[in-house]
Amino acid sequence: MSYAYLFKYIIIGDTGVGKSCLLLQFTDKRFQPVHDLTIGVEFGARMITIDNKPIKLQIWDTAGQESFRSITRSYYRGAAGALLVYDITRRETFNHLASWLEDARQHANANMTIMLIGNKCDLAHRRAVSTEEGEQFAKEHGLIFMEASAKTAQNVEEAFIKTAATIYKKIQDGVFDVSNESYGIKVGYGGIPGTSGGRDGATSQAGGCCS
Amino acid sequence: MQETELHDLSDDADYAASQQQGSSSMMRTDSIKRSSSNEPDGAEIIYSKDNVAIHPTQFVSERISGRLKLIKQGSSLFMTWLPYKEENSNAKQIEKAYVDRNLYTIKAVPFTEVRSIRRHAPPLGWQYVIIVLSSGLAFPPFYFYNGGVRQFLATIKQHVFLVRSAEDASVFLVNDFENPLQRTFSSLELPRLVSVASGPSTPISVGESPLKENQERINGYETTISQYNGRQRQKVHDPARDISIQVLEKFSLVTKFARDTTSQLFRDGHSNGFGAFEKMFDSQPAQDDLHKASNDAEKVNEIAVASDPLEFDKLSLVWGKPRQPPLGSEEWATFLDNEGRVMDSEALRKRIFYGGVEHGLRREVWGLLLGYYAYDSTYAEREYLRTIKKSEYETIKHQWQSISPEQARRFTKFRERKGLIDKDVVRTDRTLDFYDGDDNPNVNLLRDTLLTYSFYNFDLGYCQGMSDLMSPILFVMEDESESFWCFVQLMERLGPNFNRDQSGMHSQLFALSKLVELLDSPLHNYFKQNDCLNYFFCFRWLLIQFKREFEYEETMRLWEVLWTHYLSEHLHLYVCVAVLKRYRRKIMGEQMDFDTLLKFINELSGQINLDAILRDAEALCICAGENGAANIPPGTPPSLPIDSGLFYSQQEDEVL
Repeated sequence: MSYAYLFKYIIIGDTGVGKSCLLLQFTDKRFQPVHDLTIGVEFGARMITIDNKPIKLQIWDTAGQESFRSITRSYYRGAAGALLVYDITRRETFNHLASWLEDARQHANANMTIMLIGNKCDLAHRRAVSTEEGEQFAKEHGLIFMEASAKTAQNVEEAFIKTAATIYKKIQDGVFDVSNESYGIKVGYGGIPGTSGGRDGATSQAGGCCS
Repeated sequence: MQETELHDLSDDADYAASQQQGSSSMMRTDSIKRSSSNEPDGAEIIYSKDNVAIHPTQFVSERISGRLKLIKQGSSLFMTWLPYKEENSNAKQIEKAYVDRNLYTIKAVPFTEVRSIRRHAPPLGWQYVIIVLSSGLAFPPFYFYNGGVRQFLATIKQHVFLVRSAEDASVFLVNDFENPLQRTFSSLELPRLVSVASGPSTPISVGESPLKENQERINGYETTISQYNGRQRQKVHDPARDISIQVLEKFSLVTKFARDTTSQLFRDGHSNGFGAFEKMFDSQPAQDDLHKASNDAEKVNEIAVASDPLEFDKLSLVWGKPRQPPLGSEEWATFLDNEGRVMDSEALRKRIFYGGVEHGLRREVWGLLLGYYAYDSTYAEREYLRTIKKSEYETIKHQWQSISPEQARRFTKFRERKGLIDKDVVRTDRTLDFYDGDDNPNVNLLRDTLLTYSFYNFDLGYCQGMSDLMSPILFVMEDESESFWCFVQLMERLGPNFNRDQSGMHSQLFALSKLVELLDSPLHNYFKQNDCLNYFFCFRWLLIQFKREFEYEETMRLWEVLWTHYLSEHLHLYVCVAVLKRYRRKIMGEQMDFDTLLKFINELSGQINLDAILRDAEALCICAGENGAANIPPGTPPSLPIDSGLFYSQQEDEVL
């Protein structure tokens, strides 16, 4: 399928916070509580539409355990967006956010858009992190923030799309040089008319990779 | 003898003289090739330290000392480390040792390829540094027996951009330019030397004889430097030519060794009706099935792909032997004497290597393959062992079972471990009947055995991936204690996969890169050019022994084949090479970059034909022969000798 842009996302956060379930809910619109734990990295993809433009999201879902960090870091390369996930019922997953953020800042490109997600908001009765704390953390670190539930699908669609919209806006504002793929963005067929010219090479090149 | 050699090397006058000579001869070549140069470059040794050692294994006897040098050539800084000759007198041993030692030889690594240097200054013992390349691979730690780490870093700092990491004060980042302008300048800094076109061809690192004299040593590194520079330059002008030169250089070597092994393959006495290499790797059904849909796209993209060196000569080699049906109970009985001892363990391992074991026999056979039971144990002895081990297991299990909630509150490490295991067992193989459904007792067994293991081996603890390894064992053994002890044995082999510093994984990925370089140099070059040499795309394969790549039954088949250690204890690495070679055409033809390759490899899950891959792996392992083994650094997991007697004697040695 053709797309105007392809964005690479990476999902990060402690083990068991629901990264894979968020991805599955977004790509397949289902919740699978017995999803196999992630070893290394898994992939998902979905088309969305922003500003009437088809945009393909290619999403990298990473393993959360600490010992794999040295490997996970190599996946940051060329990501346009990151979903940083914690579990609102487990305080420690919130406490670890700063170290995840540090990893992301160090190994990803500086203009990567980061969405902070407090997952499992359906389990409000077991909540260990308040919404305000999540908001506060996001504000302090310049992140977008949402609470979501992979189980009920609440805010899942919104989280992925809002991230894409933010990236899209950055493109419109000229923050990225979209012909440079290290920003995690590829221009597809029918790339946006009106953006600066001389992109023919990039357009045809990216077209071949849209499988 | 080592002393002599040491002395030899420290003769600075000689050294400088020969070095001078070496570089002036190169300058001559240079000036002929490139008249525009008005700035002659010589290589200058700006730092040299003796008795800098690496410790490939835990054994003192296997430590390798050498000399570490920093060499400046023009504006480029290089590092070399050459091991000393060994003092051993037995000629054959020396030869073998040289191959091993040479594996670690570092010939002129440019600092543009170095990402960071970590300095370790333990309160007791030697200071050491770990040098990490931008590909993500790291050299083994260098122990400075005579000190000099500070001077080493200070010298580097004078010549390249070196900053202390803000995150970790013991880490020094090399060429970590925050300022994009600086980065641009750095990449524009073209080497000033032109390649020595008539120089010796790039040596394959194995089989290369150690440099014997100073002169040769000097020439050795300078040649490498000039080749490196030359390559860079050629890349700018004509990348295609660069590839073809390297390929041609290596073809002769690889095809030669392929030819050398032909006779070996034929000697094995099995029929030779399995076609040429070409057929094996180019018209394989697995690939066709998988990519029918994208065939059209492929055609559009078709790009000339460097041929597989092993098929280049259209050698009609016998490919791996046909797989046999699994070992059944009748045949199994023929391997046993009337008290249950395995009479010929080698023959048994060979049989299992070629066909695996029927499921019903696995319970009995896996314990032997994993070394839980000795091959020469009787039925009665095995029964006795089971009883003893059962009570031992209960004792260890009781250690965590007896932790009260009050104690747990003050035992964070336990709570974290238990929490992690609890979370992981409910997401391990739950689609199988054996682990399916709520309150499945087998899921509890999985948890209990893993938690008990994390107490049995508290230092290693629990790491994700272990539940994948335990799951089939529990499925086969159907007994808590037996599963636990078999897992203990498996972890004797694969434990390093779960080291916190990932050293076990890195050493396997490194060995894999060396094997691909040996067995498919065009593919190796492709990975190199596309910044894929860290082989992270094979991470999952290695971490859990292909468990996620095959159906459950096939995984068990593969594991028992690997556990025989029949042709090599590192057959799993040849399996990796075999899969990569199956898809080499697609990988290179579609010009996959790191991301695309990672995704592609991930999606091969469930698509690989196990029998075909095992045959390829077997053939590659035979083909590579001793060269292959020499390319796998000692200590690469699984590195436990099957012979438990040997293992224990080495342990004692270490204690002494």
